[in-house]
Amino acid sequence: MLARIPPQTLRILALLFVLLAVLLFFSTQVPNYLNGRLFNRISSSVAIMALIACGQTLVILTRNIDLSIGSVVGFVAFATGSLITNNPDIPPILLATYSILLGACFGVINGVFVAYAGVPSIIVTLGTMALFRSALVEYSDAKSITTNNLPTWLIEFPNTQLFSIGTLQFRAAFVVAILVVIAVHFALTRLRPARKLYAVGSNPEAAEMAGINSKLVIFFAFISAGALAGLAGFMFLARFGTITVVAGLGFELKSVASAVVGGVNIFGGSGSVIGALIGAILIDLIDTSLVRWQLVSEFWREAVLGSLILLSVAADAVLMRRLVKWRVSREKKETKPEVQS
Amino acid sequence: MKNFIKITAAAALSLGTASATLAGGHSVSLTPGEDINMVLLPKFLGILVFDQANEGAQEAHAELGNTGELLFVGPTPENSTAGQIEIMTTSATQGQGAVMLSNNAGDQIVPSAVAAQAAGTRVVTWDSPIPSGEGEDVFVAQVDFGSIGTVMADMAHSILGGSGQMAVLSATPDAANQNAWIAAMEVALKGEKYSNIELVDIVYGDDQAEVSYNRALALVDKHPNLGVIMSPTTVGIQAAAKAMQDEGMCGEVGVSGLGLPSEMVSYTMNGCAPEFALWDFRDLGYLTYYTAYGLASGQMKGEIGETFSAGRMGDFTIEEDPGRPGSSRILMGDFTVYNSENVEAASK
Amino acid sequence: MPQPVLRMNSISKHFGMTKALSNMSITLEASEVHAIVGENGAGKSTIIKIMTGIHQPTSGKIEVDGKTRKITGPQAAREAGIAAIYQEPMVFPDLDVAENIFISDNSTGVLVHPAEQRKRARALIERIGIKLDPSRIASGLTLAEQQAVEIARALSQDVRVLIMDEPTASLSAHEAEQLRKIAQNLAGQGVAVVYISHRLEEIFEISDRVTVIRDGRHISTKPIAKVTSDGMITEMVGRDFGKYFAKTASTAQDEVILEVRNLTLDGVFEDISFDLHRGEVLCMAGLVGARRTDVALAIFGVIPPTSGSIKFKGQTTKFTNPRTAIEAGIAYVSEDRRKLGLAMPMAIKSNVSMATLDSFLSPLGLLKREKEGKVARHFIDSLNIRTPDVETPVGMLSGGNQQKVMLAKWLNLNPDLFIFDEPTRGIDIGAKAEVHDLIRSIAAKGGAALLISSDLPEVLAMGDRILVMREGHQMSIVKHSEATQETVMMHATGQRQEAI
Repeated sequence: MLARIPPQTLRILALLFVLLAVLLFFSTQVPNYLNGRLFNRISSSVAIMALIACGQTLVILTRNIDLSIGSVVGFVAFATGSLITNNPDIPPILLATYSILLGACFGVINGVFVAYAGVPSIIVTLGTMALFRSALVEYSDAKSITTNNLPTWLIEFPNTQLFSIGTLQFRAAFVVAILVVIAVHFALTRLRPARKLYAVGSNPEAAEMAGINSKLVIFFAFISAGALAGLAGFMFLARFGTITVVAGLGFELKSVASAVVGGVNIFGGSGSVIGALIGAILIDLIDTSLVRWQLVSEFWREAVLGSLILLSVAADAVLMRRLVKWRVSREKKETKPEVQS
Repeated sequence: MKNFIKITAAAALSLGTASATLAGGHSVSLTPGEDINMVLLPKFLGILVFDQANEGAQEAHAELGNTGELLFVGPTPENSTAGQIEIMTTSATQGQGAVMLSNNAGDQIVPSAVAAQAAGTRVVTWDSPIPSGEGEDVFVAQVDFGSIGTVMADMAHSILGGSGQMAVLSATPDAANQNAWIAAMEVALKGEKYSNIELVDIVYGDDQAEVSYNRALALVDKHPNLGVIMSPTTVGIQAAAKAMQDEGMCGEVGVSGLGLPSEMVSYTMNGCAPEFALWDFRDLGYLTYYTAYGLASGQMKGEIGETFSAGRMGDFTIEEDPGRPGSSRILMGDFTVYNSENVEAASK
Repeated sequence: MPQPVLRMNSISKHFGMTKALSNMSITLEASEVHAIVGENGAGKSTIIKIMTGIHQPTSGKIEVDGKTRKITGPQAAREAGIAAIYQEPMVFPDLDVAENIFISDNSTGVLVHPAEQRKRARALIERIGIKLDPSRIASGLTLAEQQAVEIARALSQDVRVLIMDEPTASLSAHEAEQLRKIAQNLAGQGVAVVYISHRLEEIFEISDRVTVIRDGRHISTKPIAKVTSDGMITEMVGRDFGKYFAKTASTAQDEVILEVRNLTLDGVFEDISFDLHRGEVLCMAGLVGARRTDVALAIFGVIPPTSGSIKFKGQTTKFTNPRTAIEAGIAYVSEDRRKLGLAMPMAIKSNVSMATLDSFLSPLGLLKREKEGKVARHFIDSLNIRTPDVETPVGMLSGGNQQKVMLAKWLNLNPDLFIFDEPTRGIDIGAKAEVHDLIRSIAAKGGAALLISSDLPEVLAMGDRILVMREGHQMSIVKHSEATQETVMMHATGQRQEAI
């Protein structure tokens, strides 16, 4: 039966297994650990990173990287806050659309340089990371967006409880993030233009030979990442209320970590946004749990977090390899007679 | 102003530190109208308090009629350390009269600051000093670090009603300011008055909203009986207040620490953060400018014991920094505690 | 007579000063298997690249179905119904077979229906006549299966002209057999198949017509029935090389410096055995895929062989890395100067001293810059390297001079055995002759040279003996006196095999 499951699904099963192992481990270490509260914490916290990691995944699939994504989140959060502060009557949908479009605009800048000017993405986005951040500093004029200037609907939105299962609350931000991830996942698996992200990342030369417009595909990846970062900026504003120029600092690396932990191949061509989502959850879970773990002091936490991430990536890789090996041996057994004929 | 609870740290809490004026020293009164170019270098750009400090410095600049230029330059947030070192070096090559630095580069700034001094540029730190004191002429301290500890302990005492559990949400584990303040608070907590207050945990939110927010929640999960989250950082305090508000826990856990009135007003009014404290960054910028102007124009020597007059703020004396033996500081000292009575006015 | 599917009309292609193709005309008819043969570097791959739009011709035009058409890129080629498959297939390793076939097929709309897609893939694969599960991930496929995927992709796009470039070079005999069937099968369905291969027997087996090219020029196009293998080889090698490469007397001595016995690397080459004497130049000839370089790398310690023995200077050795081989006195001058040989941005003198850096260090471990410069100047003079000074970055020099810098680097080591791997590829005729002189002088001084070359005239001019390889097997060792282009080519293409 397992032999019928595609490798992507296997990868996610392996990840879920690791996630479960981490949960069980900490439940033996931390009192009052496994309860609805933990779910609520992680789900609210991961909602923003899920969107960013999702965007980062689209870019990584094409063998690129977007290091400017944290700066985009920060800028969009600030600009959106500024817009709604000055025009409190803007309807929610319009405001969210503004955030997404603004994010996409930043994506266009990255995309033009990477796809059409042919500059390596790590250089382009390292530059735009600083550039967008400077733009935010300039734009903010050292003012902060503060909660008291924001409309109530916006502040209440992320924590609005849509429904609950027992003590597990499903809050709006989390549900939106999950819906977006599912939508992107559907697109990546079923939409032809989105499948080309995999083709370009898997073998750029072959993509060119197969007549795929790689430049357009890469351009599209950066715009989508920008748009998702824009939506994340909107959520960031709604969740934290107070936005300063440091908003979103460091998100670029966290998103790359989430994607990679989630099984997205850093060299492009394979991975899924569901995986990236689970990767984000795993990192957030380990991070939060470590704070509550008495055994680890603050000064060692970063190191332990890094080690645990490495460990879970390794565990995932080993599990994955086992499964693939097993499958291959199965396949061989099934096809052997034909080869010999 | 009369509603403000003003505590003059040096007067109320001088714990064996040098007193404000040394006997026999006469106060230098600075001659205006010199031509000195100066640089105000914040940790990074885009933060309100630094802009306020700039306003204060600009005020002093105009007051002293300096015909030179006062530049407000800083790195962007993601490039703070390297950017500060670069600006320090550039300022020295440009032959700036003085660099006023809110140090975010730890001792990494030392070589460039020493080089600047050698090139004739005076280095005055404010808000955050150079830990080793090397390459620094004098540090203009906003408040006595010891007094911050007492103020924080007092706020916790008031919120807890005298007894309960407290946890600290700080910036980064290696932030010199915060560590000194927390250490001072731990000393203060040993006092009889605070014997029923238990400091149960110290966590770090990296001065980032999302990390601080999550840390605050982790604290309440970890310590079910927690009564106060004390956050000596403007980012941490508001993230913690927002987290308590979002989770409907403001009745159980009070948030306090160092915050900006404009960011904290709603949390103070709704009871999530009943009390917090801060000093005036405009005044800090103003005093720093006077100090730097005096040193760069040669009217002050920067020696311990020297007293000078800083315009509207009155007389100040250079003394040895009790936290950093061998280094000198000027203590500004005024400190404001905000609560529901005064915060709205201050947030405007 | 029916309209030809594709006609290349006096196409020329120049790369700077190099004329890759001159006045090349080829006509492809529907339903034919059209073989194109020629030596390495004759211009076959340039023809393919022009047909598939990767290169644009310098002059001449291409007609498809009688109409002139500019093929501006792979996309345009596909639209014109031209597709190519290569020895190394172009598949997407992360995607499954069905998706590999239909990735750029937009005919079924934006939504992908995996089940439907697999069904269509299965139909195409059946048309090719093989068995392959369309849901398998491409990274797990054999080369032959990957090629089948590529062919299926071409078929899905209504291919009119299918170019197969050395498609069987890396396949097992059984797989190659299957692929040839596919080629004929497709021709039977109306496709014009261009078949490029070094294996002459293949060409006789499947092609309808054969075009011979040489030095970028069209030599002949004939129906296969009118071609003999000797005639074809003569046409392929037919240039008059004797004028500029004359063989000089052998300087071989009696002492055997390198003794290789039954050297085998599983799946790559097997049972390679030869002796190399002091003062001798032994050439290794063969076609693409003959695995000569792999043998050389095994001797040099880069890829340890699976079995067999190597005796160097009378001692049985097993080099596990190049450093120990170099220390023992072996130098390896590689074909790819950029990748293996030289540090392009660094000065000539630094490149020369690189392999022997220890000898340039003062007792304190500091680099003796003067000595470095002196040594470099010595080689600039003796090898006639054309450069303004020793500080010039190697990347600024011409290919021939780069090659000489690389030789200088190794000469400085005074090795006993030189392995030359295509030392004259891509350099001009004058520099070539200088390199040849140098190899001879090494031999005359008692050094031994193992020279890998795909340039037949060079092999015949330089080799005291010629070891011919084909697909990992040692076909024969031919003495210089018995060697002609034809005999070497016969062995290299598998037309004749001799017991050693």
